[in-house]
Amino acid sequence: MIVEYESKSSAVHRLDPRVKFAWMLAAIVISVMWTHPVYLILLGLTVVGFGLLAGFPWSKIRGVLSFMVIVTAIITLVQGATYVPKTVTLDEPARVLFHMIPGWIPGVGPACSIKVGGFLYGIGMALKVVTVLVVVAIFGYTTSPSEIVQIIARVPFIPYQVGFVMSTAWKFVPVVQMQMRTLMDAHRSKGVDFEQGTFAEKIKKTSGIVLPLFANSLSMADTMALAMESRAFGSSRKFTFIRPYQMDRFDWVVLIGSLGSMVACIALLAVFKLGAL
Amino acid sequence: MASDIISLKDVTFNYKGSNRRALDGISLNVKQGECVAILGPTGAGKSTLACVINGTVPRFMDGNLAGEVTVDGLVPAKVGTAQMASRVGLVFGDPDTQLFGMTVEEDVAFGPANLGLDYESIMERVDKSIADMRLAGLERRAPHRLSGGQKQATAIAGVYAMLPKIMVLDEPTSMLDPEGKARVFGIVRMLKEQLGVTVVLIEQEVDDIFGLADQVFVMRSGKFVLHGVPREVFGRVEELRQAGVRVPQIVEFGTLIGAAETPFSIEEAVSAVGRARDAGLGPSPSPASAPTPTPTSTNEAAAQTAARATACLREACKIAQADPVVEAVDVEFTYPSGARALDGVNLAIGRGDLVAIVGQNGAGKTTLTRHFNGLLRPSSGDIRVLGRSAQGVHTIELCRHVGYVFQNPDEQLFCTSVQEELRFGPTNIGADPGATSQRVEEILADIGLTKYREVWPKYLTKGERQRLALASVVAMDPDVLIVDEPTTGLDWVESLQILDYLERLRSEHRKTIVIITHDMNIVSLYARRVVVMAGGRVVGDGTPREIFSQPDLMELACLRRPPIADLSQALWGEVLLTPADAAAKLLASRPTNSGVCSK
Repeated sequence: MIVEYESKSSAVHRLDPRVKFAWMLAAIVISVMWTHPVYLILLGLTVVGFGLLAGFPWSKIRGVLSFMVIVTAIITLVQGATYVPKTVTLDEPARVLFHMIPGWIPGVGPACSIKVGGFLYGIGMALKVVTVLVVVAIFGYTTSPSEIVQIIARVPFIPYQVGFVMSTAWKFVPVVQMQMRTLMDAHRSKGVDFEQGTFAEKIKKTSGIVLPLFANSLSMADTMALAMESRAFGSSRKFTFIRPYQMDRFDWVVLIGSLGSMVACIALLAVFKLGAL
Repeated sequence: MASDIISLKDVTFNYKGSNRRALDGISLNVKQGECVAILGPTGAGKSTLACVINGTVPRFMDGNLAGEVTVDGLVPAKVGTAQMASRVGLVFGDPDTQLFGMTVEEDVAFGPANLGLDYESIMERVDKSIADMRLAGLERRAPHRLSGGQKQATAIAGVYAMLPKIMVLDEPTSMLDPEGKARVFGIVRMLKEQLGVTVVLIEQEVDDIFGLADQVFVMRSGKFVLHGVPREVFGRVEELRQAGVRVPQIVEFGTLIGAAETPFSIEEAVSAVGRARDAGLGPSPSPASAPTPTPTSTNEAAAQTAARATACLREACKIAQADPVVEAVDVEFTYPSGARALDGVNLAIGRGDLVAIVGQNGAGKTTLTRHFNGLLRPSSGDIRVLGRSAQGVHTIELCRHVGYVFQNPDEQLFCTSVQEELRFGPTNIGADPGATSQRVEEILADIGLTKYREVWPKYLTKGERQRLALASVVAMDPDVLIVDEPTTGLDWVESLQILDYLERLRSEHRKTIVIITHDMNIVSLYARRVVVMAGGRVVGDGTPREIFSQPDLMELACLRRPPIADLSQALWGEVLLTPADAAAKLLASRPTNSGVCSK
């Protein structure tokens, strides 16, 4: 989980969960289909706008984004150095943009040429990854696990218990994370230094947490299962959701906008190659 | 006359793969609308009994169940979950494992929604449950953001919304602070008196049960060893002790002063004392139960009691100033989430002291003590350990001097055998292997786990695991031992074993002991100094008597003093800490009798 759900009353939080799911689906599909960086930047800007509307805490993904900058830089350079795509917008995709080892280095330079096509393709790939990550984070931040259960439960032939178990597992993640932190603190209090030692030693130290973490999680899950059983979980085929959603005008606008954009993008890409590199 | 809503006849149960009988010939009859309390040490079979009543044993937990069980006319083992869940509600001790909704409202609706009721019926039940359990205004709050008492009230509301005729509450206050406990007992009283629900209450808090329960059953090793109305059961002091159940303080006081009629409430105790004075009856105290040596005369005892309390504070202050082992200097701490947990804490703890840090959940107790071994670092201010600033000193170095025992033993036992667990810490800090082996042997004997040296800690009882967790830190031979909630989930005998061990470490090995606790009985008996925290600050500091004598401070920190403190206040206008102290004070007015005192 990138960012935990937070109960707020932003316009995005108030949206019907199915609409939010449709928005997420549309954004992911479009980002997967488009390859041109400029179009992907435009998509990214709409996602950022949606995030701002939701009051999304950008600082919470700063760490992930910093990591992604490194990953995307590597993707871009590797693609630029190794791949020349067939494009519809570039005259010379194989043209060399620059050399990673410049010519002024005697003996070895110029070498490792970065081609325009591969470079732009790499940027596109990196933008896709970041966009999907942010879209999923915004969805998770604005949609409670119980709303996700409702979405899954409305899928034909899937019993609501499946969705409920999935959402409970989701809610369980921060509990397990907290447990892991406590176990690490308890190790530190007994003289274990996780930062010191070789890679193999660090792995060995960390593995000391696995057994108690596993045993404690099982025991907690067992108690939860007993508590659920005691409240008649799974006793009826029917489950009544306490928030019967009704689509209002804004829901319809976002739903039609999301699905309409998705269909339009697919069509324009297929017919006019719009969004393709 | 009301009919039996719960009827158990000669019920036995063995868990699958175990030869031991978790329940051994249990017979129980509960009438509709009654409140039945079940007491007993951990492992007595109380939780198993609760699960038999709601049918999760044997449906959910495998084993052999024999005997007759009838609950509201049904045989729980034979009917479906929904049928039983709408008749019997089961609430557990840990509220965090029984809250499933993202909001209080959603959580309360979980049970009725599982029954497939329509939306209007669910909301009707949810609204009523929330109102009845005094949760109005918290409907949209996320359960994990509630206080412990509010969480447990939400768990009870979730069960109550299924409109059960019977509520089984399995140690519902075991993880709560005094305010949370008071809230839950208030709810139990309301369930019984106003809502007509039959309540089966499994508890360790004997002082609160007297006014609540119609019948009391005491369990030990799967059997009922004592049962009857509260006056009958709580009057049998020796049998209670033998069963491992704490005797209510007022009852113990009555026994110590040799009251003709055992008092069960403060009012009755005041009357008993009045009658004893009027009749000039000679009390027959039981010095054997007193934790400190018997003084030569009762006048002396009373004088000693008062003098020792004052001296204790002076001594605590003196040792803290003269030889502080850990100090917090203007410490402030804010969590990355922005929550301010400590707000300018100044505290010095002296060598050889036993300090209890008390206060409501979220007061900053754990946050403060985690600074002493470097698990947390102050946002501003300084922590000093053995006179040196801890700034820049690694946790691994600090843990040689400050040992930290976490609340849940299962979060600090990592090894596959008891003796490995005891070697783990000393090995990490590079202790001499020969000396470690000798120390491990001594500690195994000290904590009574020698015969379990090869056993996987998971197979030990909760009390044994708690002792092992504590010993695994003691094995590192730190100067200071911080123990977070050492008695949570333990019965009275196990709690005393833990605290006796800590007191031995203090008195015999001059260790400094810091305990974080909600248990005021433990504070009364063992603490030499009490530090009260509220809102991230130290708001009170003194001997237990001094702290319990300040009602405003107690209210500010949401603490409840033990009943004997209320009684002594009512009788003499001063706070005494134990029934033995109070008995000694009473006997002090009779110069020919001997008496007892503790602090």
